[in-house]
Amino acid sequence: MIACLVKACMPPNITHLMGFFISLIRSASAYPFRNLSLFVVLILLCFEVPPARAEVRTVTVGVYENAPKVFTSETGKPSGIFIDIIEHIAKSERWKLRYVSGTWSEGLDRLAKGEIDLMPDVAYTADREKIFLFHKIPVLTVWSQVYARKGSRIQSILDLNGKRVAALDKTIQLETFTRLTNSFGLKIILVPVPDYKTEFTMIASGKADAGLTNRLYGLMYARKSGLEDTPVMFDPAPFYFAAGKNVSGKLPEIIDRHLSEMKINPQSVYYAAMKRWTSEEVQFKLPLWLQMLGLGLGVALVMSLAGGLILKYQVNARTGELKLINQEMEQRIDERTQALQVTNSKLQVALENLAVAKEHAEAADRMKSAFLATMSHELRTPLNSIIGFTGILLQGLGGAINEEQAKQLKMVKNSANHLLSLISDILDISKIESGQLSVFFESFNLKDSIFKVVQSVRPLAENKGLFLSVEVADDVEEFTGDVRRVEQILLNLLSNAVKFTQKGGVRVKCQRNAGNYVTSVTDSGIGINGKDIGGLFEPFHQIDTGLSRNYEGTGLGLSISKKLVELMDGTLQVDSSPGKGSTFTFTLPNVIDSV
Amino acid sequence: MKAKILYIEDNEQNLYLVTFILEKHGYEVCAATDGQEGIDMAARILPDLILLDIQLPRMDGYAVARHLRTNPNLATVPIVAVTSYAMAGDRDKALEAGCSGYIEKPINPDTFIQQVEQSLTKQEE
Repeated sequence: MIACLVKACMPPNITHLMGFFISLIRSASAYPFRNLSLFVVLILLCFEVPPARAEVRTVTVGVYENAPKVFTSETGKPSGIFIDIIEHIAKSERWKLRYVSGTWSEGLDRLAKGEIDLMPDVAYTADREKIFLFHKIPVLTVWSQVYARKGSRIQSILDLNGKRVAALDKTIQLETFTRLTNSFGLKIILVPVPDYKTEFTMIASGKADAGLTNRLYGLMYARKSGLEDTPVMFDPAPFYFAAGKNVSGKLPEIIDRHLSEMKINPQSVYYAAMKRWTSEEVQFKLPLWLQMLGLGLGVALVMSLAGGLILKYQVNARTGELKLINQEMEQRIDERTQALQVTNSKLQVALENLAVAKEHAEAADRMKSAFLATMSHELRTPLNSIIGFTGILLQGLGGAINEEQAKQLKMVKNSANHLLSLISDILDISKIESGQLSVFFESFNLKDSIFKVVQSVRPLAENKGLFLSVEVADDVEEFTGDVRRVEQILLNLLSNAVKFTQKGGVRVKCQRNAGNYVTSVTDSGIGINGKDIGGLFEPFHQIDTGLSRNYEGTGLGLSISKKLVELMDGTLQVDSSPGKGSTFTFTLPNVIDSV
Repeated sequence: MKAKILYIEDNEQNLYLVTFILEKHGYEVCAATDGQEGIDMAARILPDLILLDIQLPRMDGYAVARHLRTNPNLATVPIVAVTSYAMAGDRDKALEAGCSGYIEKPINPDTFIQQVEQSLTKQEE
C-alpha cells in the first residue's frame, strides 16, 4: 500500500531506488521502529536526489579462470557463480559492469592499484584486509582438495611426500597446504601454475603428480581432464568480492545487503547460480567400439527404417494396385452376375412362356382330338341312316325296285361307304397324332383274314380288268395281334395297289420267316419315284397333286398303316420302280411265337 | 318261333331302321328310348337278345349293361353293344360292363342280320 503510494509520487528516473526501498519495507516487519525512521529518511532522500546524479555507474570487475566460481565461457563471456551474483546486483543497482580478464595474480595487483573496483573469489586474510575492502557475508565456502591422475593411489596427505604438487601462487589454499605439510614433516615439490586449467593439464601430462584446487573446480573438470579426486580435503574457506581500498559508493555494503536478501529466498539468483554451477556435470564418454557399434547400429536402423519405408511404400503401392484390380474384378463379377441374372430371368420367362405354350399346344391337341372324335361320331350317325336305308332298299326289304333305281341306290351306297372310310381315316390319324391309338392282341387266323380282305377288294380289281392272286404258305395260320388293324393295313395296301394299277394285276403273298409273318402286296402300277419315297408315309401325302383328281383318297392310308404296323412291333417297307410297279411288304412278329 | 329282341336306342331313325330290318326277318322287336325304360322292359319281357346303344341320354349304355347284369333273370341273355364309338378301349369297356358282343355303327345292312343270328347262336351254345 505504501509502496504503491510512493511509486506513484516518484519520478521515473529514480525508480532504481525502488528495489532498495521495497527491500526496506520487507525488512520493516522485523524492525518496526527502525523501519519508520528509515522510511522517513528515504522519503526525504527521494526528493533530495536531483535527476543529474542518477547517471549510470560503471563498476569494473576482474575476471580470472577458476570455474565454476569465475571464468570466461567459450563465447568469451565472463561466467560463473560470482558473475551471476554481481550481475544480479548490478541490474538491481543499475550499474554498468566492465570486466577485465587476467590471471589470479594480475587481478589482485590491479585491485591493489585501483585499476579495477572488484575482484571476485577472494578469501579473507588479515594481510588482504590491509589492502582490500571485504564485505561481511561470504558468497560461498569451498573446501580445497588434492587431485591426481587416475590410479595414483594417493589415499592421505602422507602419500604426497616427495611428490610434485601444482598449485596457484599467492593463494590462501597454498598457504594452508604448506602449513599442513610442514606440520606433517612432508617434503613437497611445489609447481606454481597461473591457473587451474594449466594445473590439470600438467598433472594429466605427468609434469606434476598432484595439484591443489577448490572442490568446485575439481567437480567440474577433474573427470574431463582424466584426473580423480583424492580423499585429501582441507581448509574450508569463505570467499568474497574484494574491493579496492579507495573504491567509492559503499560497494561492500551494497553487496552484503543483496547477499543477505538472496540467501533468505531459496528462489533467488544466488541459489539458482549455486545450483547451475556446482551440480556435478556427469560426462559419460562411451568407448569407441561402443560408439562405432552404436553408429553401425544407427546406420543399420536408419537403413532398415528407410528400407522398411521403401518396402512399405512398395507394399502400399502393390496393395493399391491389388485393391484396384480387386475392385475391377468385383465390378466385372457384378456386371457378369447382373448380365447372368438378366439372362436367367429372360430364360425363366422364356421357359414359362414355353410351358404355357406347351400347355396351350397340349390343350389344343386334346381339343383337336376330342373334336375329331366327336365329329367322327356325329358324321357316322347320319351315315348310319343313309347306308342302312340304302341297304334295305337294295335288299328289297321295302318292296321291289326297278333296275334303274337299284343302280342309283348303289351309287348312294358307294358314296356313303367312301365317306365312311374317309371319316375312319380322319379318326385314326387324330388318334395317332394325340397318342391315343392302341392295339389289342388276340389270337386269330391270319390266312382267313387275308382271304377275307382279298375277297372284299376283288370286285374292284375285276371291274378294272386286273388279276388278283393270293399265295399264303401252309404254315400261316394262328396269329396273335389286332385282327381289325391287320385287316385295315392289308385292305389299305390292296386298295392302293388296285387304285394305281391300270393293267396287269396285284399279287398278295404271305409266308413265315423265323418268328415273323411277312406279307407283301405287289402291283404292276405306275410306281413311285425314288425322291418321293421318303415322304410317302407322311400324313396327308398323295404324290403329285395332279393325281388327287384321278385317284380319290385322303392320303392318310399309308401313314396310318405304317403307324399300326409299328404299334405291333413290325415294319412296313416299299420297293418301287416308276412305270413298272411297287411292292409293299409288312412284317409282323408273332407275339406268341417270339415268346 | 322267332326270337324276341329288345332294342334300346334314343335315335329315332336308327330305331326305325333296325326295327324294320329285324321285323322283316321275322323277329319280334321291343323298343326302349332310354336306359331306365330299357331296364324295366327287359325285366318284364325277358328278351332273347338285347341290342344296346351306348350313347344314351342320362344313363349311358355301360351303366345300363351293368344294371341288366344285376338281374339274375337276365344273367344269360346276350347283350350286344351297337355304337359309333370307335375310340381305343371302347370294345373292352363294353365287354367289361357285361356286353357279350359288339356291332359297330353304321350297321352294314348286308351283314347285320348275320351278326344278330351269330349272337343268338352263341347264346344257345
